[in-house]
Amino acid sequence: MSKLDRKTLASLIDHTELRVDASYGDIRRLCLEASDHGFASVVVYPVNVPLTARLLKDTPVKVTTVVGFPTGAFTIEGKAFEIRDAIAKGAQEIDFVINVGALKAGNHELVRDEMQTMARAAGNLVTKAILETCYLSDDEKRAACRIATQAGIRFVKTSTGFGSHGATVEDVKLLHSAVGKDMGVKASGGIRTTRDALTMVDAGASRLGTSSGVAIVEGLAR
Amino acid sequence: MKEQALAQLIKTGIQGTDISEQDIRQDIARAKTYPFSAYAVDTPYLRLAKELLSGTGILLTAPVSYPLGGVTLETRLDQIAFALRVGADEINPSLNFNAVKSGDFATVLDEIHQMVDAAGDELDVIVIPQFYILTNEEKLRLCETILAGGVSSIKTNGHGSLCRPEDVSLVRREFGDAFSIEASGGIRTTKQAIDLLNAGANFIHTSTAYSVLEDTEKD
Repeated sequence: MSKLDRKTLASLIDHTELRVDASYGDIRRLCLEASDHGFASVVVYPVNVPLTARLLKDTPVKVTTVVGFPTGAFTIEGKAFEIRDAIAKGAQEIDFVINVGALKAGNHELVRDEMQTMARAAGNLVTKAILETCYLSDDEKRAACRIATQAGIRFVKTSTGFGSHGATVEDVKLLHSAVGKDMGVKASGGIRTTRDALTMVDAGASRLGTSSGVAIVEGLAR
Repeated sequence: MKEQALAQLIKTGIQGTDISEQDIRQDIARAKTYPFSAYAVDTPYLRLAKELLSGTGILLTAPVSYPLGGVTLETRLDQIAFALRVGADEINPSLNFNAVKSGDFATVLDEIHQMVDAAGDELDVIVIPQFYILTNEEKLRLCETILAGGVSSIKTNGHGSLCRPEDVSLVRREFGDAFSIEASGGIRTTKQAIDLLNAGANFIHTSTAYSVLEDTEKD
């Protein structure tokens, strides 16, 4: 298993607060934890981006938000609007859910059109395409990855955390080999322990989405 | 209860991550043979649903900030503008639940005002207070806020939670007839629907309308 130090592991973590019943206090705590531990970013709903951006202003921690979340069942124009709006409010990374129904129906043209539009709307900011792997066959995962590499997307991401299951080692390995070395894989959903995190990194994840970041890094020896 | 009578009180539809155009075509082909009150689909399929439902008398429901409500006000307004363009009849906005759980009812009120203005006269506004995440005190405070915002229709929950008769009777007890209540969340059987109607619900929302109609008297 990988021998990472705390600082390196922390730099791979998107510290996440996507509970529907979270409060402003929960967002404040999230940001404090992220800057204390050196996480890569915090992940919040778009409505919480202004507060988060303000709290993280003088830190290296990025603001990530979610778009078309959690179902991905939105129009392309609607998702593009969300992205532009989020960026105007201070979002620096965009995790968008793909149109899973279209992918499963074999409508690759729509999936491609959508991914290209997302990348364009985000400009030079990092985009991560959430595939929601729990709904997909291996061929569908590979097709989505292929389309993402051609569309200028920076990461594929396994899960929203609201599906039937989150990241698995098999999925992360599959995504990693499908996207090649110029794109990243973000493993998300169900990553709770240091062991979970290191297992995902070994499988090829270069970013981890989790709300258990503090426990994960503190479970590691310095 | 007679099947036709219950069907008229049912709002249904299929929404979710893996729904395809084909699923929608098949479901509407069946749904249009019943006198359902309304049918909801996700935004990519609203134009299609409008076309397929035309001539049936079934209202078209457009989701707004569905189902979790975490989007900005601007995005809500964008989705309401889209609902107007496609000719929807009603919208189901989820609210800013982070604000609710933070006790920030002023923000919630402002957002409701703006959504009501954006909807104008063309769209009925039925907000989702998401009862399953709220304490009873929060439910009542939020209902007061909803009324103050000019909305008198609520759909108790969005996706993935159980609606209980106690929630419906709580609203009736505290607010009388001020609200039209669409009970929503985990409703799968005729008995559940009837219990909720007896507790004071005006409508039943269910994505499994045919199982809810199963134990009714057929005409």
